[in-house]
Amino acid sequence: MPASLRATLRRWLPGTLGGRTALLLLAGLMLVQGLGLTIHALDRVDLQREVQAREIMARAFGAWRAVVLAPPERRALLLLDAEPQPGLNFELSTVPAVRPGMPPPSAETMRLFHLDLMLASFARRRGPDLLLPPRIGRGRPAEKPGERAAEDRPYGPLRDGAGGRPGSEEPPGARPPLADPGPPPHLRPAEMRMAGLGHPGGFLASLRLADGPWLNLRVELPPPRPWHSPTFLIAFVLMTVAAAGLILWAVSRLTRPVRLLAAAAERLGRDVNAPPLPERGPSEVTIAARAFNLMAERIRRFVSDRTQMLAAIGHDLRTPITRLRLRAEFMDDDEQRRKMLADLDEMEAMVTATLAFGRDDAATEPAGPLDLAALCRTVLDEAADARPEAEPQDFAYEGPDRLTVRARPVALKRAVANLVNNALAYAGDVRIRLAPARPDGRGRGTVVRLAIEDSGPGVPEEELEGVFQPFRRLEGSRNRETGGTGLGLPIARNILRAHGGDVVLRNRAEGGLRAEVTLPA
Amino acid sequence: MEPQPHILVVDDDREIRDLLTRFLERQGMRVTPARDAREARRLWPLGRYHLVVLDLMLPGEPGLDFARWLRGPGSTDSTVPIIMLTAMAEETDRIVGLELGADDYMQKPFNPRELLARIRAVLRRAGEGGATPGGTKEPAPKAIRFAGWTLEPGRRRLLNPDGAEVPLTGGEYELLLVLVERPNRVLTRDMLMDLLRGRQAGPFDRAIDVAVSRLRRKLEDDGRNPSLIKTVRGGGYVLAASIERLPGSE
Repeated sequence: MPASLRATLRRWLPGTLGGRTALLLLAGLMLVQGLGLTIHALDRVDLQREVQAREIMARAFGAWRAVVLAPPERRALLLLDAEPQPGLNFELSTVPAVRPGMPPPSAETMRLFHLDLMLASFARRRGPDLLLPPRIGRGRPAEKPGERAAEDRPYGPLRDGAGGRPGSEEPPGARPPLADPGPPPHLRPAEMRMAGLGHPGGFLASLRLADGPWLNLRVELPPPRPWHSPTFLIAFVLMTVAAAGLILWAVSRLTRPVRLLAAAAERLGRDVNAPPLPERGPSEVTIAARAFNLMAERIRRFVSDRTQMLAAIGHDLRTPITRLRLRAEFMDDDEQRRKMLADLDEMEAMVTATLAFGRDDAATEPAGPLDLAALCRTVLDEAADARPEAEPQDFAYEGPDRLTVRARPVALKRAVANLVNNALAYAGDVRIRLAPARPDGRGRGTVVRLAIEDSGPGVPEEELEGVFQPFRRLEGSRNRETGGTGLGLPIARNILRAHGGDVVLRNRAEGGLRAEVTLPA
Repeated sequence: MEPQPHILVVDDDREIRDLLTRFLERQGMRVTPARDAREARRLWPLGRYHLVVLDLMLPGEPGLDFARWLRGPGSTDSTVPIIMLTAMAEETDRIVGLELGADDYMQKPFNPRELLARIRAVLRRAGEGGATPGGTKEPAPKAIRFAGWTLEPGRRRLLNPDGAEVPLTGGEYELLLVLVERPNRVLTRDMLMDLLRGRQAGPFDRAIDVAVSRLRRKLEDDGRNPSLIKTVRGGGYVLAASIERLPGSE
């Protein structure tokens, strides 16, 4: 398949499995419907042609009768006055339109217009010149051996007795005697010639009047137009619409489990303890749901194992750190004691951060209404309290006085505090901007936007995402000297994502870094 | 304050117990160490203790059960101050302990000097409250309502009139607790500093006023014309509100 075609297909093909299935089913159904309706229409066309043929023949006979009965000078006028009939043309001429060498009417035409009957009835009368195809000739009732059609002389005029082969016998019982005695003798043409038009549904006939001129008939049925009828289109549209409705309903029902599975996977990504998928429905769906639930269970077990391990390590480390802190109090060297206590503080911070990262506190703490504005101020105040040497204007808050969100208070405070402390560690100043809830533009409810800005050196563009990886530190500016565990940003992001929000970093145009937090309102 | 406070230290780690004993003794206190709740229960009638430092994670009988026993009728002094030592993961234990009437808590690994400061603060408050040994101590209220706001001492949290949690810094919380426990009483800066010192090292030495102004902002009290935390001429504050105490769980 050429690339351009593939690209076009991709553009026009529906993106969803349901859409594609529905499209395929609908296209197939339309094809089958079209075929079915066409077959039906063709059947009807056959019937219609029979009726048309009968009507044409009646008209043709009417015209002939009128011409025969009319005085010769009025014949032409009469024909002009005759009501036109589609598919039938006649003219009065001195020469026959059927000329020798023309093909005989096809069997199909003979059958359609019952020409054999006509020929046979005309042939009753002795003496008309008939131009007859051989097979038709054979079918005549054998009143007289002499009037038999000559098989070896198919297109020659048949006259009474002329060319007849007295010796040839009619097979007995080949044709029953005609019930129809045919037209009365005075209406029979003096001579009759017929020829086909090369396609079924049309023929030429030339009938000679007793006084010489010929009536030439040209019969041609209009070509069949099975799709032309208005009912065809209406039926097609109605059936298609009904089928489309059914198909869309069924397909959306059938693909619902796929959507449910996707939603469950999404939920599991946020919350390991999300409720399991219901295991019911068609067997494939049940199997998929069971496999998914099994996978979720294994992940849950893995996470809980890891959590327990981290908790155990953290717990076991607490005791030696406590002991060392107490021991430090008995050291005589003040300088050494101060340094040792600082080291112990750092160790404790790392243990606490690792535990917070591993334990995923956010998942266990209950969520409730929380004043986010007060939380931001509290974080700033605590940061300011911890840095008595900093200027008060380095801790700025812009936003409403009160903004209630639903969140886990301890976890969310830790997330905001991590971002604020990150700003303070690298820039020495921080500004929180809180914007009230507004639609997020993607139709997924309203979000609260929180920006934590600093005027520090920022982060290289290519590292803006990388710093969210655990224990990732930037070369140069972000080294051990500035403190931190390398877990602050990952913990913040974990917590915010568990709340259904997120955090990204951007370098500000005016210099410095901005952490953009979104939270569902 | 008595010249030599007597502290009962209950901790299952021998090293910590010994080090803590030596540390507190160096600060002029008398210390009796106990290995677990059973030993503590045995030691309890043999002395008169001014304060109990209780590790909640004890082998055998949990620390919380011992605290409940201390506060119960079987104890000779159900008002003895208790400072709990908890691990970070035991938040619910901490809440139960505070609701049970424990006076303070410290997270392990704790800073010994901060523990010392808190022991002193609790002892000072016990002395101020005029608690007499042998009396009964009212369990801490589950919630305190004032002017539509709700303070939950057990959970250390403040709810605004809409029921949303309003985060407070440690200092703000302590200050608010001191104020709502003494409503409509003028507290001078010196009294406040005395009541708060040791709880929060640092800011309160110089910044009671800062903490008050922060609290006012969070309580949506107009700083220029406060109606809730009023400034008293001559240097003091008063919480002007009627208080409703909701009883604790025990």
